[in-house]
Amino acid sequence: MQVVVLLAGVVDPKWRLDRLGLRPGTELADESGLPRRLSPFDEAALETALKLRDADPAVRVTAVLPGDVGSDALLRGVAAFRPDRAFRFDTSGLAPWDPRAAVRLLGLAVGAACGCPDLVLMGREFGDCDDGVLPAALAEAQGWRFCGLAHAVAIADGRFVAHRIRGPREELLRLPPPALVSITNDRGNRLRHPLMKNVMLAKRGPVEVVTPQAGAIPRAVVARSLAVVPPPQRGAGACRILSGPVDAQVAELAAYLRARRQAAAP
Amino acid sequence: MMRRIVAVVLLGEPALTDPFGAVAAAAELAGSGRAEAILLARPEDAEAAAAQAAREGAAEITLVTDSGLSDPPQPEHWLELLAGLLAEDARGMLLLLPGGAVGEELAARLTMRLDAVPLGRCGRIVEDGARLIAHRAAYGGRAELVLETGAPRCIATMRRPAAPPKPAADPVIRRADLAIPFAADAPRPEVLPAAADRPKRVDAARIVVSGGRGMGGPEGFALLRELADMLGAATGASLPAVDAGWASVSQQVGQSGAFVAPDLYLAVGMSGTPQHLAGIAPHSRIAAINSDPEADIFRVAEVGLLAPWQEVLPRLIATLRDG
Repeated sequence: MQVVVLLAGVVDPKWRLDRLGLRPGTELADESGLPRRLSPFDEAALETALKLRDADPAVRVTAVLPGDVGSDALLRGVAAFRPDRAFRFDTSGLAPWDPRAAVRLLGLAVGAACGCPDLVLMGREFGDCDDGVLPAALAEAQGWRFCGLAHAVAIADGRFVAHRIRGPREELLRLPPPALVSITNDRGNRLRHPLMKNVMLAKRGPVEVVTPQAGAIPRAVVARSLAVVPPPQRGAGACRILSGPVDAQVAELAAYLRARRQAAAP
Repeated sequence: MMRRIVAVVLLGEPALTDPFGAVAAAAELAGSGRAEAILLARPEDAEAAAAQAAREGAAEITLVTDSGLSDPPQPEHWLELLAGLLAEDARGMLLLLPGGAVGEELAARLTMRLDAVPLGRCGRIVEDGARLIAHRAAYGGRAELVLETGAPRCIATMRRPAAPPKPAADPVIRRADLAIPFAADAPRPEVLPAAADRPKRVDAARIVVSGGRGMGGPEGFALLRELADMLGAATGASLPAVDAGWASVSQQVGQSGAFVAPDLYLAVGMSGTPQHLAGIAPHSRIAAINSDPEADIFRVAEVGLLAPWQEVLPRLIATLRDG
């Protein structure tokens, strides 16, 4: 059974973004000096793939990381988890803003991993510039069954059983292959720690790079600008910090909460 | 010829808390008298929904009923209905779906069915002649990306704008009764029975009591739940707290979680990252309990209590219980 996990990587969310923009004369984001790591959703997708292989040795996991040479360190980190194959799908010089173009590239990336995947796993958001469009659009473009925002996947009777919470409902969705499931973070899919010997092996080993034979991909969306923005202002913008002994502060907060509860009552 | 601005309403979709939000967004974007709404509904829900769409500013309303829609409808069926309705319509269009997981999934999949351009979850869209300028968050809500396209068919999701909508005085209402079959081989979700301790739904709550990484463990969340019960609130959590297993993924608030719009958001042990704040409506009041005076949450809170939650929560619960 072929499981392909597509990983995007993000700028480390803990890193303060002081400046960010498009490289002059291009549509490429200038992320120089910003460390990259797997997003929580990438990690959840990778762990889900590894769990499927743990449960069934017939599962073969291929990890694919689209990106340029700057993503090689991240790929080595992925290789330390010992997927059956891990490669970088070279997207050097390509801007990620056009979802249709990105979907086409991701389809080629899966094709380079294996001709006919049984299951493709992706994080619920694919990188810093996707808000969940790419997994659903890729599934639709490829004609695969889709389940979004699952937090666990198992295999039963040749089908993928995806577990998700949607609105007020907790659901199981049984998908025949080929299927694409986007994964959200959850305690049950926190990425394991790699063995140190595997980290060392991955550091020394070669990085496999696959170059797409895509030709020109038509694009319908261009980026005008990319900029760091401050959080929106709320209220008067001045926080009233309570003062005095803790008991007095608590009493004041309780009074505030009671008033808000009354105001919020239907 | 001007592009049509069309919002979609999915009536009866249980995952949506504001099914008409995209209509209000379309009305604001299109200006007076130009916004259209497509309402997908079962026949018994249709007329009241048309009146609501007019109040939200839709000047042209297409009421699409399908007696074959199940209760609740399946997302795959919504997709088939929308694709069937719009596939033959070659006019230039910006289609807006409601924010949230269902709207976003449908928008993405529909773009592939209709050969349209997906613009994602937009905060603002502006028409510039025949082109669209779309503003949307990137980098976990820390940056804004401005995209431009001249594609005739575009699809985005938008939430309700802050300004109240101007009702349409005399809307044109069309009706279409479809009978698009739900594909026999489409997967139907098996809905699991609700657990007795399932948390109250966070995206529909008037008050949210939420905990972050600073809670340090599950014990603090037990106190948060007790406090939330006293306030009639839902319990929310940040992504790190969900990752740590202290709360369910359904409680996750933020850019990559639920979008909440309560009257009050009480943030406990939370630093207030942009990624988290992106999931809280701008009009929501924030109160914060945190021991770190430098925590960014105090930059956006209305009221702050500067102390460790371990000292505050037991006292706060006791005070509210006594009062």
